[in-house]
Amino acid sequence: MQSGSFIASVKEEARKNYIAVFEQDWPSWLSGIFIALLALMIFLWDSPWGIAGGYKNWGNWVLYALDINSDKPFAPWLHPMSMSNVGIFAGAFFSAMMSRQFKIRQAPNLEYAKGIIGGILMGTGAAFAGGCNVGGFFTATGMLSMGGIAMMVGLGGGAWIGLKYLLWELEHLPAKPLSQKGGSKPFLGTNWDRVQPYIGTGVLVAVIAAFYTYAGVDKAQIGGLLFLGFLIGLVMHRSRFCFVRAFRCPFMTGEAEMVKVVTMSLMIYGMGSAIIKWAWIKDPMTGVYHPFFLGSLAGGFIFGVGMILAGGCASSTLWRIGEGHLKLVMTMIGFALSNALTSKAIAALQLSEKLGSAIFMPDVFTWGMTIPLFIIFFVLWAFIAIWNEDAETFVIF
Amino acid sequence: MDLTTITPDQTLDTRGLACPMPLLKTKKTLKGMQSSQVLEVLGDDPGSKNDIPDWAGKKGNEFLGMADDDQGYTRYFIKKG
Repeated sequence: MQSGSFIASVKEEARKNYIAVFEQDWPSWLSGIFIALLALMIFLWDSPWGIAGGYKNWGNWVLYALDINSDKPFAPWLHPMSMSNVGIFAGAFFSAMMSRQFKIRQAPNLEYAKGIIGGILMGTGAAFAGGCNVGGFFTATGMLSMGGIAMMVGLGGGAWIGLKYLLWELEHLPAKPLSQKGGSKPFLGTNWDRVQPYIGTGVLVAVIAAFYTYAGVDKAQIGGLLFLGFLIGLVMHRSRFCFVRAFRCPFMTGEAEMVKVVTMSLMIYGMGSAIIKWAWIKDPMTGVYHPFFLGSLAGGFIFGVGMILAGGCASSTLWRIGEGHLKLVMTMIGFALSNALTSKAIAALQLSEKLGSAIFMPDVFTWGMTIPLFIIFFVLWAFIAIWNEDAETFVIF
Repeated sequence: MDLTTITPDQTLDTRGLACPMPLLKTKKTLKGMQSSQVLEVLGDDPGSKNDIPDWAGKKGNEFLGMADDDQGYTRYFIKKG
């Protein structure tokens, strides 16, 4: 065999794989498995995965700069959730570049307003629930904290109200379409579409270099969170993974696809964390702090309305920013500030005891019963959503 | 199907809007149309490339196809069932 033909074969294989990985969207069930496994790795590597804590850290810096807070917050580059958030953004940006989908995406003014208000509502809801759709619902449920289930119910109710508002808006607020400027025009003399994959590769190299830099200064844990976040951002962007859809679509189109994916992902996450916790690889109470049930339920409700207005939850806000959506930059700003402020208010008014207390499922149901109940609960949710696909019992219009 | 020969009965412009607005507006507009009329949707949210064909093929409607415009958006054609 000639060496030339070997190179040619590698090139051909690389080209095929590039198309499969970066040009075709990944099936959402696959991403559900990946997200659960990555969340379990984050749990084993450091502490349970969350997003709102990172936003709060950024918001606290603004409050500190404005002299509203006197305590200096953690440096964002040393804060675990802040860095996994940066990773999610970087992963989505990398993915958008590799698939040539990055574009600064402007939106009409009404959408920007909805982005900010949605962000403010999500930040407020996350402060009450002790976490966002990830920390307060997905991870909370995975960690077998009862608050996760209460937030799930709240998110569903909030999504219903949010959708009712969107329908009202369609009737009463005439939308002005955005005037379009040209698509992929040459920019600075180059064809932007051809340059994107090189920028993407640069991002990948920078993230790997950052990991080794962190490891070199004895902060491998933070560097690892950046890298695991990067993988989550990549998976989410390639599959357009969206928690909002699991709560919205049953009311909007009846589609159950995302409900199936989220329930499956939660079963993997929950069973994985049961192994880790029951075997005492990590303290069983790790990640169990959500205010059951008032805080989680009310917080989930407020968050649910916000995520519909914004068109993204805590996680999809990050990956959509990575794709260039300016509306969701507004959402992130609103989220960070309102989460920092509301958390401060809850602490100042000493509300947290009234909102509920942390309840660990095995403490209530025993280990033996928790696992089957957990599975039955999520299988039931999936089956109700699948039935609703045809029956359309919950579809609003 | 040759998309260039289609004359839509109605056109919906969702450019600049992101998920879920394009699909929500499509569903609502289609509701107000007559059977066998064709709706053209203009959109530039990458998510719509999955959402609109997936949804439009169900519920008795027919998804006729989509085409990328060189202005950076996509045109979708749906025939009401």
